[in-house]
Amino acid sequence: MIHLDNITKNYGSGETEFQALKGVSFEVPQGEYAAIMGPSGCGKSTLLNILGLMDGPTTGTYRLGGDRVDDLSDELRTGVRRDQLGFVFQSFNLLPRMTAVGNVALPMGYSRIGTEERLARANKLLKRVGLINRGSHTPLELSGGERQRVGIARALANKPDLLLADEPTGNLDSKTAVGIMNLFKELNAEGMTILVVTHDRAVADQADHVIHMMDGLVREEERR
Amino acid sequence: MMIVESIRTGAIEIWSHKTRSFLSFAAIAFGVAAILYTFAHVNEMQKRTRETFELAGPGRININKKRQRGGEESPGLSKGLTSGDAVVIKKALPNLYMVSPHLSTWAEIQYQSFREHISVKGINLEWKKRNWLYTVKGRFFNQYDIDTAARVCILNEPGGWIEKPWWMRRAKKRWGWGNKFDEWVKRVELVGRKIKLNDQIFTVIGILKNPPQDKDPRWIGRDASVLIPLSTAQRYFNDQQRGGAYVPDALSDIVIDTGDENTVDTAMQRIKNILTVRHRGEEDFDLSDWREVVSQRLSRQKEQAIQILSVGIVAILAGGVGIMNVTLATIFSRIKEIGVRRAVGATRMDILSQFVTEAMMLGALGGIAGIAMGLVGIEKLARDGADKLEALLIWHYLATLGISVFAGFIFSIFPAYQASKLDVVEALRNE
Ligand SMILES: Nc1ncnc2c1ncn2[C@@H]1O[C@H](COP(=O)(O)OP(=O)(O)OP(=O)(O)O)[C@@H](O)[C@H]1O
Ligand SMILES: [Mg+2]
Repeated sequence: MIHLDNITKNYGSGETEFQALKGVSFEVPQGEYAAIMGPSGCGKSTLLNILGLMDGPTTGTYRLGGDRVDDLSDELRTGVRRDQLGFVFQSFNLLPRMTAVGNVALPMGYSRIGTEERLARANKLLKRVGLINRGSHTPLELSGGERQRVGIARALANKPDLLLADEPTGNLDSKTAVGIMNLFKELNAEGMTILVVTHDRAVADQADHVIHMMDGLVREEERR
Repeated sequence: MMIVESIRTGAIEIWSHKTRSFLSFAAIAFGVAAILYTFAHVNEMQKRTRETFELAGPGRININKKRQRGGEESPGLSKGLTSGDAVVIKKALPNLYMVSPHLSTWAEIQYQSFREHISVKGINLEWKKRNWLYTVKGRFFNQYDIDTAARVCILNEPGGWIEKPWWMRRAKKRWGWGNKFDEWVKRVELVGRKIKLNDQIFTVIGILKNPPQDKDPRWIGRDASVLIPLSTAQRYFNDQQRGGAYVPDALSDIVIDTGDENTVDTAMQRIKNILTVRHRGEEDFDLSDWREVVSQRLSRQKEQAIQILSVGIVAILAGGVGIMNVTLATIFSRIKEIGVRRAVGATRMDILSQFVTEAMMLGALGGIAGIAMGLVGIEKLARDGADKLEALLIWHYLATLGISVFAGFIFSIFPAYQASKLDVVEALRNE
């Protein structure tokens, strides 16, 4: 599914140039549950933004499902991001003035799915993440765990091939985190390819494949 | 494009920043109101012109005595405009529908304690052939009055307003705005009474009631207050002298109607030739084609309309800058949201169109508010509000609405483009 070859990412230029990624290569096959771990500042988020096509690498190639995606135009990149990727954020990033249903339906709007189908699918997804009666609530009226469930439902909206998550449990207490972890586990069991960045050993423990990063490089990979 | 979605978010956004939104479209509203007023004004003008032509006939020619300026006194070869001229014109061009000679002057009218300087006009029976929109109380002049230079007069009673705008009524009450003569004619029963014009005693034989001013197509200003037979005017109110000699049949103007628009040019040429010979080459008269007069008046009014229109356009431009400002502010406060939308799959175009849609909605709101304001304003403030409103066609509303929506579009393109260029990761990091 993911095929990274010697990805680098430089920030700034001249004196202040800083290399956040120094040549990252790894593979994540379809259906795998992978986790990235590493100390703060080692470039995990930078890498995940590149994987999520929200940012481009400075050099290196990125293949997604066999196709090169690192050199696409902004419009094509946005299309791939919308139709093939789902992104879960640490701080949820829900639109505060929209209801849960509205938030989940948002990506479907951008892929021009009709209103009725959009709502039907959004409700189904909310049900799938265990939020049957919360559809009409705005994020402010939801708990952290519930917000993250809405975030996951939104990430699943356009039936992505790959689910990316940047510290999805980072803002949650451990009990709530377990619920989210179980949800990831279930989704993976249903066939979803998942890549999670985490500091939480417990999250990494349920992954098939753990990538340890250090200073912009992959230090070690474990597979189970 | 997610038009419906964009409109929905736009509505939410506008609603949740009511003051900001209101301020931004207020200027647009003023502009729209001004433009709407211009449309109404121009329309009504055209309607009135048409009516005037129908009423006055298209074949009008005015011959006016040229005012003599000091130091340019006539050497006396010409006697100026006279009844003789009118008679000769009539003889030379027997097909003219109307040749109406007038002598206009000023006099002091006196009746009991009422005293006022008013305009007096001597006319003969031809006068009745055109512009006749009066109802008569008493009677009009007859040939006998003219032949005997009788001291009889007819008073012109103004039509007043069917519906006077409230501010005119107020102003009248407070500052005594309004014409004393008009008030007097309306108030006092005068038919059959004797009045004094300067030192002559006249009998009032009739009152000409004019149609209401807001329905009167003769918008060329008011006529003389008192009408008397031409012969009487020439006898008692004539001070014309030429070259030291008194001119007993002097006129101030002759109004001619050829009865047909197509004969105006040839008739004018012939009249000019006749008068030039009769006045022995002295150019002491002005010949003017009615169409010219009307078109001059129209172009003056159009100029006025253009001025109002430019004010409207400036207001809309100001409103546009306001919208630009609001769009910038909105974008600035919603960078995070832009990041989220981009992250979940919004293209640059989606973002751009969302903000442009929002601004166009603001423009539309301004347009609607402006139309409402314009309608109320015209109805309550303008002189012939009802007529002006009637003259407005559906496309005028659509055009004004279109202009304001277009202003929203144009002025939001740049900020919206900036928003669409935001870096996704940076935008997401924004709090
Ligand atoms: N836009 C940027 N400009 C300059 N430097 C950046 C930028 N974004 C990230 N960096 C730097 O790149 C390095 C990697 O950052 P990144 O956010 O990927 O770390 P991380 O592994 O996600 O850390 P954490 O676990 O704390 O989230 C950091 O040293 C950071 O300061
Ligand atoms: Mg990070």
